[in-house]
Amino acid sequence: MNRSSARRFYLVGFAVLMAFDTLAQLSFKMAGTQALPLSLSLQWLQRVFSQPWIYGALVGYAGAFFTWMHLLRRAPIGPAFAASHLEIVSVMLVSHWLFGEAIGLAQVAGAGLIVAGIVCLALSEPEAPTEAQPA
Amino acid sequence: MADGLTPLVALLWLLNVLTDSGGQLAFKAAAALPGDAAGLDRWRAMARRPWLWIGIACYGAEFLLWLAFLSLVPLSTGVLLGSINIVAIMVAGRLLFNEQLTPLRVLGILLVSAGVAVVGLQP
Repeated sequence: MNRSSARRFYLVGFAVLMAFDTLAQLSFKMAGTQALPLSLSLQWLQRVFSQPWIYGALVGYAGAFFTWMHLLRRAPIGPAFAASHLEIVSVMLVSHWLFGEAIGLAQVAGAGLIVAGIVCLALSEPEAPTEAQPA
Repeated sequence: MADGLTPLVALLWLLNVLTDSGGQLAFKAAAALPGDAAGLDRWRAMARRPWLWIGIACYGAEFLLWLAFLSLVPLSTGVLLGSINIVAIMVAGRLLFNEQLTPLRVLGILLVSAGVAVVGLQP
């Protein structure tokens, strides 16, 4: 794999991963809201599984899982680990846009600290071989 | 989230951290199979031990706990608070699997925890 096709593989791969993760979290929120009021009961579970959003969450999870597994065949684990958590930023933007949630100073500062921490954790992973064996 | 951080929300958050960490650790234990079975044999061997099933049960519970949690807090706040799972896993890996805590990892853990605290403790 030459350099520019490798770059395309990562860009497309992580964009797809982020899209699946964002879809999953949006669906969780929609499914949870539609199933309110919350209670530890069969009725709540019935409300959860009787509307379409819960399947959006399942599709998002499954899609993210397979995308992640595919990415890990080539991407070094450290940077990949960091990039796989960046959905907190996309989810924040989407929840402001779709649900009109107020994004205050605390959210922005918190997200910045969390992303900085994730980058540290990613850099601390031992360097993996850049070209892994094809599975 | 003045009206959001009720005892119920805090409990759901805590249970989510516990089931997420429990599930990941159980899967790790399931994958660390003695012997060198491969393919289908490996899956059969894993299915005979409790770890794989404990992991699946944790993930099932976590799915519902996360759904319940997000139904009560704004999504943008919820996903940030959920980031504490990263720290929980890292600390649990250190305690149970003797993984190394390098200075950079400690810094990462502190930064993520601080970020979660800033979001969780906002007035």
